[in-house]
Amino acid sequence: MSGAAAMQTMSPPGDAGGPRSARPVRMTPARWGLYAFLAITAAFFLLPLWVMVVTSLKTMNEIRLGAIIAPPLAPTLEAWAKAWSSACTGLACDGIRVGFWNSVKILVPSVFISILVGSMTGYALSFWRVPGANVLFTAMMIVAFIPYQVFIYPLVRVFAFIGLGQSIATIVIVHTIFGLPTMTLLFRNYFSSLPIELFKAARIDGASFYQIFFRIMMPMATPMIVVAVILQVTGIWNDFILGLVFAGRENLPMTVQLNNIVASVQGEREYNVDMAATMLTALLPLVVYFGSGRWFVRGIAAGAVKG
Amino acid sequence: MTMKALTAVAAVMAAMSIPAMSIPAIAQDNKAEVIHWWTSGGESAAVKVFADQFGKAGGAWVDSAVAGGVNARTAAINRTIAGNPPAAMQFNTGKQFDELVEGGLLTDIDAVATANNWKANLPQALIDATTRQGKMFAAPVNIHGQNWLFYNKELLAKVGAKEPRNWDEAIEALDKIKASGAIPLAFSGAKNWERLLFNAVLVDKGGPAIWSAFWAKRDPAVLKSPELRKAADTYKKLKDYTDPGASSRVWNDATGLVIQGKAGMQIMGDWAKGEFSAAGKAPEKDYGCVILASGSHGFIFGGDVFAFPKLKDANAAKAQALLAKTMLDPAAQIEFSLKKGSLPARLDVDASRLDACAQKGMKYVLDKNQQLPSDVMLAPPAVWGAIEDVISQFWNTAMTSEQFIDKLAVAFKQNQ
Amino acid sequence: MASPRMSSRASAYSALLPAFIVLAVVYIGSTVWTMWMSLTGSRMLPNNNFVGLRNYEILFSNDRWITSVHNLAFFGVLFVAISLALGFLLAVAIDQKVRSEDSWRSVYLYPYSMSFVVTGLVWQWLLNPTLGIQKLVRDMGFETFTFDWIAHAETVLYCLVIAGVWHAAGLVMAIMLAGLRGVDEDIWKAARVDGLPTWRVYASVVTPMLGASFATAGVLLSTSVVRLYDLSVAMTRGGPGIASEVPAKFVMDHLFERANISLATAAATSMLITVIAVVAPYMYWRTRVAARGRA
Repeated sequence: MSGAAAMQTMSPPGDAGGPRSARPVRMTPARWGLYAFLAITAAFFLLPLWVMVVTSLKTMNEIRLGAIIAPPLAPTLEAWAKAWSSACTGLACDGIRVGFWNSVKILVPSVFISILVGSMTGYALSFWRVPGANVLFTAMMIVAFIPYQVFIYPLVRVFAFIGLGQSIATIVIVHTIFGLPTMTLLFRNYFSSLPIELFKAARIDGASFYQIFFRIMMPMATPMIVVAVILQVTGIWNDFILGLVFAGRENLPMTVQLNNIVASVQGEREYNVDMAATMLTALLPLVVYFGSGRWFVRGIAAGAVKG
Repeated sequence: MTMKALTAVAAVMAAMSIPAMSIPAIAQDNKAEVIHWWTSGGESAAVKVFADQFGKAGGAWVDSAVAGGVNARTAAINRTIAGNPPAAMQFNTGKQFDELVEGGLLTDIDAVATANNWKANLPQALIDATTRQGKMFAAPVNIHGQNWLFYNKELLAKVGAKEPRNWDEAIEALDKIKASGAIPLAFSGAKNWERLLFNAVLVDKGGPAIWSAFWAKRDPAVLKSPELRKAADTYKKLKDYTDPGASSRVWNDATGLVIQGKAGMQIMGDWAKGEFSAAGKAPEKDYGCVILASGSHGFIFGGDVFAFPKLKDANAAKAQALLAKTMLDPAAQIEFSLKKGSLPARLDVDASRLDACAQKGMKYVLDKNQQLPSDVMLAPPAVWGAIEDVISQFWNTAMTSEQFIDKLAVAFKQNQ
Repeated sequence: MASPRMSSRASAYSALLPAFIVLAVVYIGSTVWTMWMSLTGSRMLPNNNFVGLRNYEILFSNDRWITSVHNLAFFGVLFVAISLALGFLLAVAIDQKVRSEDSWRSVYLYPYSMSFVVTGLVWQWLLNPTLGIQKLVRDMGFETFTFDWIAHAETVLYCLVIAGVWHAAGLVMAIMLAGLRGVDEDIWKAARVDGLPTWRVYASVVTPMLGASFATAGVLLSTSVVRLYDLSVAMTRGGPGIASEVPAKFVMDHLFERANISLATAAATSMLITVIAVVAPYMYWRTRVAARGRA
């Protein structure tokens, strides 16, 4: 209906318009419709954020009145300051900042290694015919469906058996293991959708397995790498139980502090601090999302094919 | 170039896989790492009492807090299995650490208990709850009353209701509050609170004999008793006194309704006092607290204990003993209770500084006939969990009391 | 020609080595362990007391498990369908050279960054009839407005769908956008030369080319459905009663809080077998199709 009509008129046929033309697009009624769709959807997406923001700016006495959507009477940033540096998380009352660098230390190698291993696996499974590959991929797809918490106990035993205690290395390996099915799926499907001629041409030129991967495939996969980064950064940054069990007490991630602030069962609740702490913890993934935008560009694939 | 990149990656991976040298240094002289789940502001202040006391006695408290008992226990148990246990780990008073004892993973603290004369000064139910194979395996540090009725004094006075002493009187009061237009019973729908409310009714309608037949023995005969039937009927009736928002509310917000005078009363453990205090409300002045028990014996109490995993280092074992001793030191006990809102586990302490509700609670604890061990002290988690699901279904569906009792019978049978 | 081929195959194996190790040690090992545990009487710690199929008897006579399985099917279909549709529409809309693309994209994607512990609570507030949207609309003067899905067993699952779509649609959008941006520029040029309206290009040319993106997003969403846990815990705690319980929550509750490993692993094994029954034939079929395509 109007959506389809909107698309039809938003870039008049024959004109050099279309999604990526350089010329600015005129504001036609259909284009207003497009923005209306985006705005209404955005309102739905932003409603919870609004509640979180206004709650974080209120005092507890005001929150107890129960007007969750109303803006704060006297906005204060106290809850934000407290969440960052003075909320109690146990014996210590140093806020969520404590685990920030630990989370970064876990995040960077985990994201890098899991994407590297996953993309390489996906590549090997898409262009190369390796005996056992189908079994491997099927098994990974099946495991992707199992609640990973079931595997915690056996993994603890395996790591104890091979003498790998709790450390950054352990948690990085664990994140790589649990990220493997998703990452493989992502890249295998993406590479499979690329034209096979590309691969054949490189083979005829005598390029090796790894040359094709690093020089041709990975540059072409930039948008998918962005998606993989989004997935892994979010998943690893927000992980709580794996970090708790495998990272060791010196390396506990920020989410452990977040959980300690927001999830005490019998303690009194401070919703303003809870909200601020949650938003503060989400900042890093948000920065990644926002910053990754410029990689969502068209034409990489086309350029690579020609080059 | 490719090879270089690969070598670099391989080097990074190799570096990562060398077992890190960051093994927590808990095996030193007087350090003791404690895993617990007390993380809110009030709870933190309470933990500080123990930590300070331990410090004064020459120990060094290494804090590992993880909110949510399930999370904390998962971390502690997995670390124990991995061979890297903490010096002490928190459990709810009850059967949560049974299998660790059976597996030989815990060290007993019977010597500490004897040396400090715990057994003469702790309620029998707590001694029973921490003793396995004839030895004490955990230090009970506090008592939480679980069937308190908290009510808004002003609202009850306004509608002309007195403080109820049992559920019959409470229902009269609930009717009056309902007529006034306020929410009669502030409730937060979650399986554990549904079980907690059921327990509060069961104690009043059934008394200690039915209580223990239900939770400890899980005797099918109890299901045929008229008392259980009455408890089921009363429990179901209470649903009419809750509001439509109850099922999607956390307990803190339900307490908030009582604080605001939007609701009349709430059944909750004594930790709810923390919410009242945070809002500047005083016990027995702004809000009242009472145990509903017709037979005048029905104070359901649970609490927290610390268990001590076996450590290889002899010094570490000494630190564990010191920790157990300081936690049950009378001065630490009373200070901790003040901050936590709980009752001291020791009976030989000066209770005069406790708040008005806690003093009421102390009277129940001192009376042997009043002590009722909580459901989690009597039944293993798998069992109370299965029963909890049945209670929750009963509360939330059109299920009749007969159907409820039939379902309980199945749960009893499957968990014998 | 033979020797580089050999070395390439060796290279391919070397790339797959980590995956094969993980498969052998973790997946197969853990899965066999899980299945074995489900046949024992393990409670908090694993033991090897064989009890046969007793846990499965208990599991399949358990109302909560049966409800969980039904809920999963109901929730899954709605959640996956709506998330895919909304995510795709958003990606196409954003692909129309909209102003400040980064901001729009971030708005749809931000829910994905937040832990459900607190956002679940916010949704619980918003959907609570005495606190959230219903109260807001009533306070504006519409006294009879009712929006209390979360309070009723028959409708609570729609609430999970709302919050689930809110959380996941942005990710679908990102995957679709990556797919759209991977479509060759020449295709657009050719379509323009042919004078095709934009929507026709999307409907009949571009969308079919996004098959891989749809498959990726569909599988990701499906795995998150089967592993759905946080949302139910944070928003409804499985309630009212057991009305919004889900299988993964059943597994987790029994694995940890209820210290009933054998029942938890029986549930996990049942999930595993169901997944195998769906995925394995599909993969076999795909392989057959692919093989025929090559021949």
